[in-house]
Amino acid sequence: MPQVTLSKRINELMVLAVLEHGPAHGYQIALSVEERTGGAFSFQHGTLYPILHRLEDEGRVRGAWRGEGRRRKTYRITTAGRAELQAGADELERQFRALLGLLRGTHAA
Amino acid sequence: MPREHPLASVERELKVAPQHRLDLIEEVEADVRALQAELVRRGHGRVQARRAALRQLVPASAALEELEARHTPRLGRWTRASGPIDRVLMLAVAAVATVVGVQAVFALPGLVPLGTANFLVWPQAIVIGLLAANLAHAVTRLWLHGDLRTPRRQALWARQAGLIVAAVAIGALGAAWEGYLAVVTPASAGWEVVGRIASLAATGVATAIFGLFGWLAITPRLISDEELERRITRFFAQARPASAPPGVNPKPQGGLR
Repeated sequence: MPQVTLSKRINELMVLAVLEHGPAHGYQIALSVEERTGGAFSFQHGTLYPILHRLEDEGRVRGAWRGEGRRRKTYRITTAGRAELQAGADELERQFRALLGLLRGTHAA
Repeated sequence: MPREHPLASVERELKVAPQHRLDLIEEVEADVRALQAELVRRGHGRVQARRAALRQLVPASAALEELEARHTPRLGRWTRASGPIDRVLMLAVAAVATVVGVQAVFALPGLVPLGTANFLVWPQAIVIGLLAANLAHAVTRLWLHGDLRTPRRQALWARQAGLIVAAVAIGALGAAWEGYLAVVTPASAGWEVVGRIASLAATGVATAIFGLFGWLAITPRLISDEELERRITRFFAQARPASAPPGVNPKPQGGLR
């Protein structure tokens, strides 16, 4: 997998997590992320689209155009995306546990 | 004066192939409409909902940079990352095309000595070089950067057409020169003179064909890009009433899925 920053990785995983519940349009993903994180995370200024397009290029989500004339794009998660979500969630959990341990002074000496 | 569509600057600033630009603006436009409708349904005012949807979904500079990096052709991404290789590659394409062009054109009259007008070989070689450079410019814009906008495309074609005319003119000038010399010095008349006239005229025609066929090779891509550019123009023309800025009182359109 290409090297990405932690924030990019979190963004990607949030998108995958929303799509795990079913296909969605871009705006629905943005709304869902905001709602399901209680407003702690939100995509602003179109930052969602580079993430979606990257995930699509890498085969972790599949985008499909629907409609004649005024087209709309719907995204769905792929098998690779599901695997990535699982692995990413485990990895983040481990990293955040370690980080919180350090911040709260409960880490193993 | 009508205000600009909120996605017009996105389309303008995004330096990628027209297919990617069209896809992005259509995707964002549909999402903005749907999000606005959803926010209105949840009790927001129409103007407030529109502003929120635009703020959330219309790509700003950071997102545009990422999208541009994502949708630039693979070779273009590599050359951009490599700095001067971009220009080196374009120069290499132009140099190869020039050599091939000069070889092809001068192989034709090479069987006949050009005589007194052979100095015209040099301007003709320069025209071939310029045709090749112009073509290399178009080729690198299309396949390395992915983005050759209509004004630049028209400028390149105008230059190509001008050079083709120049090539024919140089060939015709050489042929006329040889003909004139044959007339004023009757001793030199004969099939040899006819051959020289034909050779010089042929260099002009051959150079013109080189320029035309080079352009013809990229025409399918130019045609498909032109069609996509037209669709982008249509998109902004059709979207104008519904995408008017808050306060203009557009007719309600769209809605949820």
